[in-house]
Amino acid sequence: MNAATMDASIRAPARRRGRIRYHRAVFHVTAVLVALLFLAPIFWVVAASFRTKAESGQPPLPPWPSGPFSIDSYLRLENFGQSILHYSGNSLFVAVGTAALTIVVSTLAGYGFSRFNFPLKGLVFLLVLATIMVPFQSILTPLFLLLAKMGLQNTLIGLILIYTTLQLPFSVFMMRNAFDAVPKEIEEAARIDGVKGARMLVQVMGPLVLPGVVTVGLFAFLNAWNEFLAALVLLTDQSKFTLPVLMTAVRSGRFGSIDWGAVQAGVTVMMIPCLILFLILQRSYIRGLTAGAVK
Amino acid sequence: MTRMDNVLGERRTSGVSLEAVSKWFGNVKVLHDIDLDIQSGEFVVFVGPSGCGKSTLLRLIAGLEEVTEGEIRIGGRDVTDADPSNRGIAMVFQTYALYPHMSVAENMGFGLKVAGRPKQEIAGKVAAAADVLRLTDYLDRRPGQLSGGQRQRVAIGRAIVRDPDVFLFDEPLSNLDAELRVEMRIEIARLHQSLGNTMIYVTHDQTEAMTLADKIVVLRGGRIEQVGSPTTLYDDPDNLFVAGFIGSPKMNFLPAEVREGAIRVGGHPLPDPGLAARLAEGTRLQVGIRPEHLRPAEPGEPAMPLTAQFAEFLGGTTYLYGIVGEGLDCVMEVDRSVDTKQGNQLNVTAAPDDIRCFGEDGLRIR
Repeated sequence: MNAATMDASIRAPARRRGRIRYHRAVFHVTAVLVALLFLAPIFWVVAASFRTKAESGQPPLPPWPSGPFSIDSYLRLENFGQSILHYSGNSLFVAVGTAALTIVVSTLAGYGFSRFNFPLKGLVFLLVLATIMVPFQSILTPLFLLLAKMGLQNTLIGLILIYTTLQLPFSVFMMRNAFDAVPKEIEEAARIDGVKGARMLVQVMGPLVLPGVVTVGLFAFLNAWNEFLAALVLLTDQSKFTLPVLMTAVRSGRFGSIDWGAVQAGVTVMMIPCLILFLILQRSYIRGLTAGAVK
Repeated sequence: MTRMDNVLGERRTSGVSLEAVSKWFGNVKVLHDIDLDIQSGEFVVFVGPSGCGKSTLLRLIAGLEEVTEGEIRIGGRDVTDADPSNRGIAMVFQTYALYPHMSVAENMGFGLKVAGRPKQEIAGKVAAAADVLRLTDYLDRRPGQLSGGQRQRVAIGRAIVRDPDVFLFDEPLSNLDAELRVEMRIEIARLHQSLGNTMIYVTHDQTEAMTLADKIVVLRGGRIEQVGSPTTLYDDPDNLFVAGFIGSPKMNFLPAEVREGAIRVGGHPLPDPGLAARLAEGTRLQVGIRPEHLRPAEPGEPAMPLTAQFAEFLGGTTYLYGIVGEGLDCVMEVDRSVDTKQGNQLNVTAAPDDIRCFGEDGLRIR
């Protein structure tokens, strides 16, 4: 009897530890499976980009390499039109420009909506938000006409303006929430310390809404970097193409054949900046999205 | 030269005066013609229930809200429309309101940095203030890495470094736990002693008000009910509200009536409080007696019967909760010799000086 109870008391914690270990194992296995699910297509693309032209065009394409390693696809991509660097530069200019302009405008607007009182404030904010519900494809024609009137069609600046416009409703909403989450007392303490105007925004409020700024900037950058339709419609000059438009141009090889290898190479190139940005900024980005969720 | 002189340099403080100050929020008048004189170097506490306008009054003095009508002077200078930073004030907030992205030292020196003062001067003042508040080891930390008490000390340090004429405190201890609150209360009292500045302090806690203040301003519904030293308010309240608000546990209020020349509670006569006013037969009034002033009556003394219900033993004292006459709740402070068993009857009375009478309008009858 005595031995039995002792036995049980010794075994009980062991069993418990076992259960925890089991849960942890299940968790890790699940996480690895899900991660694989997401990584598989990326791996496939990258692997496919390093094959010869003949092999990359083979249907069905096995995910593992069957032929020799080759950078032919990248060379073909490089030789299409101007260099790939030129098109990357176009995309980078548009994406960075969109992100910068979006950050500036939405920060100012968010600060205004959060901290200042003006007539019809609620209605104006509602209208800004309501534009999210308008699918942008449906206003592409008027936007195109508008840009043409301003002499901005077929320019990267025009594209930046359009992307920024599309990005703003969500961004203003984000930034207003970010400013709302900053306690009023901090601003009041700063007023007593003698801080005024732009200095308040930059030195006191700026650092406090930084996660929001990062989120807004990242969204703007990624959306502008990946956007295809507006770029396709607005850019007619091949030297102005952004990467997504370039991809469609590269795709069509001779005699109607499709150059999958070059497309995969292009997609790989396109992924790089997105991954880098996201990895650097992911902490602020997640903080920005969940801001105000928990006190 | 004391440590404090390093922080403040030459001592100069100024009084604050408010003349017919009113504040409207839209259509709601939250402060009604407030007149108040605060002497230089005084520790004044605004106290009152929530929503009485005490924080609003402080924010008007700070310049964080605009005055609708009236005038505010600090050190004789009209600051009614002055910017908060030009009023010679510093404020400590309930939520500390520290800049989370700055270190403790940067937080404390930010005001001077904005004012464009040389770095050396800022560092010197911050170091001196940190020394006084025992924050020297924490100067490089961020507010997020500090405890509540330390954060509040940083907020006070930020105020000290600004070298203000007037310190404003907006419920600075409400976010701290009970033990720390007592500790910080003593620290603030000590600070006032060594700085000698004018300090205005807002709280809803009457204990804080009683322990800290040279002068208490009791507010209710946007009006000043009474201004006076803690002893004045305790001994000589002007009305029912002040009498009930100051003192813990609360003063007992018992409805009474004048009959056969004596003030009677439920028919039982009380000692004659010696009022200057002659009360007509049949006058109804409220009698206020503090728990600590009630005592068991000697045989033959005018007294009221109290039926014990339950007792709270607090070590030094015991509070006996009972019923007087027909269901009137009454608390009294008793010593251990008194039998506090439930249902026990005793006759209680108070010294004539400790009986306060209030008319049906709530005003004191003296």
